[in-house]
Amino acid sequence: MSTAETVAGNETADPPTPQGIPDEDISAFLFLEARLADEARYSEWESLWDDDALYWVPMHPDDDPATRLSYVYDNRRRIRSRIAQLNSGARHAQTPPSVMRRLLANLEVLERTADTVTVGANFVLFEHREDTTTWAGRYVYVIRRTADGQLRLARKTVHLVNAAHAVPTLAFLL
Amino acid sequence: MSTEQAATSRVRAAELVQPYRVHGSVYTSPDVFELELRRIFREGWVFVAHESEIPEPGDYITRRLAGEPVIVVRGKDRVVRVLANRCAHRGNRLCNAEAGNSSSFRCPYHGWTFSNDGSLVAVPMRDGYGERLHEVREGLGLVPTPRLDSYRGFVFASLAPAGISLLEHLGRATGAIDRLLALSPTGTLQLTAGWMKHHQQCNWKMVMENNVDGYHALFTHQSVYDAVRPAKVSHVPSKVEVYVRDLGNGHAEIDYLPEYTRLDEEFVWFGRLRREQAPEYVAAMEHAHGPERTHRAFVVGPPHTLIFPNLFLAEMNIMTVEPLGPGETIAYTTPALIPGAGGLNGRMLRRTEGAMGPAGFLIADDGEIGRRNQLGLAARQPEWIELSRGLEDDLTDETGVVNHDKSAETPQRGWWRHWAAVLDGRLGAGEGDA
Repeated sequence: MSTAETVAGNETADPPTPQGIPDEDISAFLFLEARLADEARYSEWESLWDDDALYWVPMHPDDDPATRLSYVYDNRRRIRSRIAQLNSGARHAQTPPSVMRRLLANLEVLERTADTVTVGANFVLFEHREDTTTWAGRYVYVIRRTADGQLRLARKTVHLVNAAHAVPTLAFLL
Repeated sequence: MSTEQAATSRVRAAELVQPYRVHGSVYTSPDVFELELRRIFREGWVFVAHESEIPEPGDYITRRLAGEPVIVVRGKDRVVRVLANRCAHRGNRLCNAEAGNSSSFRCPYHGWTFSNDGSLVAVPMRDGYGERLHEVREGLGLVPTPRLDSYRGFVFASLAPAGISLLEHLGRATGAIDRLLALSPTGTLQLTAGWMKHHQQCNWKMVMENNVDGYHALFTHQSVYDAVRPAKVSHVPSKVEVYVRDLGNGHAEIDYLPEYTRLDEEFVWFGRLRREQAPEYVAAMEHAHGPERTHRAFVVGPPHTLIFPNLFLAEMNIMTVEPLGPGETIAYTTPALIPGAGGLNGRMLRRTEGAMGPAGFLIADDGEIGRRNQLGLAARQPEWIELSRGLEDDLTDETGVVNHDKSAETPQRGWWRHWAAVLDGRLGAGEGDA
């Protein structure tokens, strides 16, 4: 399984045996992250990220981002730019912001290291603008516990079920 | 007369396009859309693939061309073909993968097998065809597109057996492809990063036309320039020597060359990259082209050119569109990676993701504006869309119709003039498909 340091990799090659379910504070952190994204609370969402952040939406689960194009491949600096654009009030594709609610399910631990835990979860997201679009897929998160006990998001990968085919505009936070 | 022809014969494009305005129904009418599929996407030349997508014998990709599924395949003879993706027996879609390598395609329905040059090579239990077997085997191969041609790696097809040549169609637009390839040490590209597929709720022409609209950036993309980073050069027309040009045949461009030449600064078009950030690429370019031509290529940069009807050379990206309906389009985008460019290609991938596609800082907003354009046009008044900006300052020279104000609607006027001529069958149409 990948860690925050790994760039590429097949994240669908998850462990074949149960690794446990996330601790309560980890789950609560992920539910908060989902709610902030749903409610377009951009700066608060941004504050969850660690400095080595990677927010990645590939077109195929096995793609190597060194040679393959992704829908989103944001490091910390680009996350800052994305949030600045959303906060500008002139990001037309999110003006007004989509009304969204997402469900997280099947949360499971995929890997633990000394200071990180990797969590996989399935999601369904209802996005309403003038019509409702249903998005679905799998999130893989790497969450870090800092020395002072805070939780930080180091990596979030979004495997959309329809990523290989044409997708509508996704200017919101997936 | 077929139903389709009956519907489209009601359309007279000359009545919908005037020198400085077009009728709103060009974006919304199902009859116009049907006629476009026939006149532009079936009878005309359309971009279908790049040779680098299928470099080896047996490599194939599947695409749609005017709604028809096709296999673009390099045969064992290395020849590139575009074949109808339909089993010649009962019509099953034959190849169901997006890409791959295979010497043959076997239909899972009754086991008919076709070589990757299209010929029928195996019919199971063939005795059942009796005396017709020979005729079946000879006559029922995968149907190739009537015409196929390429220009420097860009493959174009036409579903009509006759019409103008690809070079006649491309006209002055070959210069834009040449300009892009001047940035490659090998004179080739590598479109191997995969295509972003963006489903947009607007007419395909809005996607294409907007690419050469020099007027919208200050408004549509204000959030990028205000909140993220300033534009590479100003989008205020009076502050830059950026020209717009109608190249003829519907091709058009925004030409940054005069401004870049004036600045005489390398890579203004690539985040003002410094040479030391791309040492392998710079060395390969100087080795291939010498220091002067290399400097010139780095200064003038890539084209920003629309090639009628479905190819946009988006500087270091390639974009193509697939029309699905009057208000529905898929836009495909991939970076124009350069063989031997080393780390530059990695930068290019990240730049494409930043700007383009459904989550891109630029194109997501263009898609939203396109959607609202389509929604707004549901109001039938005013009937006409105004495209007169800069009309009085258009200059005709050997490069086409040029306007020195980048916000002039010169590219749109050229696009629509050609569009109407093609739809009315006045030029560029095939003769055998009617």
